[in-house]
Amino acid sequence: MSKNVDLEQEGVEVRKSACYFCHQNCGVLAYVKDGKVLAIEGDPDFPTNQGGLCCRGNIALQHLDHPERVNYPLKRVGKRGEGKWEQIPWDQAIQEIAARLNGIKDEFGAEAVATAGGTQRTDDWARRRFMNLFGSPNGFHNSHLCWIPTFMVETAIYGWCPFELDMGNSRCLILWGQNPGAAGMPEMHHITEFQSKGMKVIVIDPRFSETAAKADLWLPLRPGSDLALALAWINVIIFEGLYDQEFVANCCEGFGELADHVEQFTPEWASPLTWLTPEQIRAGAYMYAMNKPGNIQWGTSVDQIGKPAGSAMHARAILRAITGNLDAPGSDLLTGPSPDFITDEEMEANDRLPESQKPKQIGADRFKLVTWPGYSRIAEETKKVWGKAPTAEWMCEAHPPSVFRAILTERPYKVKALLVSATNPINSYGETKLVLDALRAVDFMVTCDYWMTPTAALSDYVLPIAGALERPTITSSYGCSDFLLASQRAIQPMYERRNDYNFWRDLGMATGQKEEWPWETVEDAYYHRIAPLGYDAGTYDEFVELYRFHFPEREYFKYQRQGFATPSGKVELYSSVLKDLGYPPLPPYIGPSENEVDDPELAKDFPLVLTTGGGFMPYHHSEHFQIKEVRFLRHEPYMDINPTTAAELSIEDGDWVWIETKRGRIKQKANLTQGIHPRVVYTQRGWWYPERDMRDPELGGCLESNTNVLTSTADEHCDPYSGAWANRGLLCRVYKVDASNLKGGK
Amino acid sequence: MARYAMVLDTRRCIGCHSCTVACKVHNGLPVDMIYNPVTTVGPTGVYPNLHQVHIPLLCMHCANAPCVDACPTCASQKRDDGVVFVEDKMCVGCLSCVMACPYGARTLNDETGAVQKCDFCKERLDAGKKPHCVNTCHQKARIFGDLDDETSEVYKLVNSENAARLLGELNTEPYTFYIYGLEVKNP
Repeated sequence: MSKNVDLEQEGVEVRKSACYFCHQNCGVLAYVKDGKVLAIEGDPDFPTNQGGLCCRGNIALQHLDHPERVNYPLKRVGKRGEGKWEQIPWDQAIQEIAARLNGIKDEFGAEAVATAGGTQRTDDWARRRFMNLFGSPNGFHNSHLCWIPTFMVETAIYGWCPFELDMGNSRCLILWGQNPGAAGMPEMHHITEFQSKGMKVIVIDPRFSETAAKADLWLPLRPGSDLALALAWINVIIFEGLYDQEFVANCCEGFGELADHVEQFTPEWASPLTWLTPEQIRAGAYMYAMNKPGNIQWGTSVDQIGKPAGSAMHARAILRAITGNLDAPGSDLLTGPSPDFITDEEMEANDRLPESQKPKQIGADRFKLVTWPGYSRIAEETKKVWGKAPTAEWMCEAHPPSVFRAILTERPYKVKALLVSATNPINSYGETKLVLDALRAVDFMVTCDYWMTPTAALSDYVLPIAGALERPTITSSYGCSDFLLASQRAIQPMYERRNDYNFWRDLGMATGQKEEWPWETVEDAYYHRIAPLGYDAGTYDEFVELYRFHFPEREYFKYQRQGFATPSGKVELYSSVLKDLGYPPLPPYIGPSENEVDDPELAKDFPLVLTTGGGFMPYHHSEHFQIKEVRFLRHEPYMDINPTTAAELSIEDGDWVWIETKRGRIKQKANLTQGIHPRVVYTQRGWWYPERDMRDPELGGCLESNTNVLTSTADEHCDPYSGAWANRGLLCRVYKVDASNLKGGK
Repeated sequence: MARYAMVLDTRRCIGCHSCTVACKVHNGLPVDMIYNPVTTVGPTGVYPNLHQVHIPLLCMHCANAPCVDACPTCASQKRDDGVVFVEDKMCVGCLSCVMACPYGARTLNDETGAVQKCDFCKERLDAGKKPHCVNTCHQKARIFGDLDDETSEVYKLVNSENAARLLGELNTEPYTFYIYGLEVKNP
């Protein structure tokens, strides 16, 4: 038994490192001796986590040297997916990959190379920089499901997306489809603190989540009906006189048109669509509008509802504006990008992508907001007011499902290579069977990861990447906030792991970008970024040790000085930017991607409503299933179903059940709970079984319990603004797994 | 001499199991051994009128510890500061203490043959630090300190809030206290 380590022994250094197992990047103190990490604990002086660490944070040492980690560059020697690998030197891997990519570029054009990025576990700007210099517009990302469409809609309406909450001065907080109680511990801590001092908390969530259980008001709406709720709230706030007349008169454009537009969207209209009573809907609108100032925390659920997503984001943005909850004390703050340090976008070399390549970005013809047409338009406005543009790596992406389809159909053209970094598309992108077909079909695939994931198992090369304690971290909200938190590596990477930065840099140099990567180490690149701040520090590590944070002085009401970054300089409730892009200038009502009102026939066969998007402790996306110190907490996948519904279907607690949509079916175990509406089921996401055979076709059981088998990426189910696909609010049926239906048709 | 106590504020606990995992990895426990499970009661009620509470469990560090009395080899001991612990070299694995403990806080380690349990991370206490589970709790739902110190947070909480002891009627006098909220939600 390894009891508590003596940290007082001679030669132990304390390094100010960070956790990297979710976006929060909690501060960690790592106790290091002779290049080994002896122990870690939460940094009590770090402003967000204040010493706390969640399950994932605590398993840092189990992650650091886990026997299943990929530690050396691997080259496929057998057939694709056969599981036969040869260990090769890094330099050989880089040279071979570079030669292959250059060959593809020569034959098919640079756009035939696509990259898939993961959830801020990487230096995303470096991947973007590589792609821009290489000449391909086809980087893509899970960010379509993670707040990026929201960012772009909100920036279209009022010139930036509020990222910073002024919760200390707030009287009301809306958590819209967000569950920090299982997904964002530092945030939950602050919410609990301020709630105990009187702040009201409204949770909008079909599930009685960890956070809903602590809320002052829980609104359990039908999954995917967020737009109807938001429109009805606007109706109540305008027609019951709860809006901020002064702010609307002085700072907003299009209020009259908006009022006319939403007159029809009464709580009585929204009630059957949301499954909430008109009283519940009014209660929420009143609680928010009457407890000023208020915040609507950024969350990702609305990005995941598919067809109505863009309109719902627009309606939600209007709620902030008409209540005057923008950039005022206690409200949602428009920080803008940092004027002081070099942002991610400034590292991306976006001006180096030839203009002729931009129209080739896959999906840009249909989904204009999060691709070059929308990004260029919005960047132009933000540069006028803030001097800088949003991070392109997230906000200007190829449409992922369309890239997978392009691999299979060669339309609009051939996509021959896919470089995957820090993501596992088989588990994280929609419609798994499509993704799997594409990954099996693509000519050339490279995966950078910690583990042999189902995606990595289909690759031609798998490259070992440095993890949390082996790399420095700058946390600056994707380069979209004006503050910065800096952390250093505890140790140099173990074995032959490398930072993803080094992968992109080396690959860039090997493909002919030699002059473009002046920073040899990540620390050099980070120092370049923070140098303009003018702190007295000669290196990045010195900055971390002496300062660690940069929080500029907060300025409220910046719009009074500089206006909003929109064409009119005002909040455009009636949006000229959306209109210019061909979208409705006011948010129209659009039903959920699949729903019982618009598709009554489908609802006969698939009578239940599915939600798939929720994160749950102790995992993060499809990660950590290997680590037994957390796997014991949730050994198997569980779906939530109401006991009444379960009884009708003869399902008992703990039974394996099939959950089926038009697109396929998966197995999870039934968790009977009153915490969900009788007509809704909730599935856990991310599931695969790393303990199983990792060769094709088993691939760690990647189809068996993977909720993305059920989700939809059909164009008609995607948000027309951004192309975000449908993870929530789809129609499904549930039945018990038994001998008669056990086989086939996964 | 301190008199150590822990307060578990269920109004703050969200059932994230960080404490459970921190304890396991820092104390190097086998996978099937858990010193401090978090049990969830609920959601109770009928949708959508629900209530839920998470109750973190651990050794109660009783003033009248039945495990100490039951131990035939004196391996189960109580320090002057109230910490109940097992001297594993003296333990013969007879399970008398396991049966005597009304809180189910003790487990036999099959590999070592000794019974193990939470000891408030006593080596850390001796070094002036708090137990791992307390340090790691984002929600500050675990409050640890000296109940003899009138300025301590545990003293204030135990004496100002409605702090309860689990199975108080057994008169084992645990030094682990629970605070429950009275929550009525959703009209």
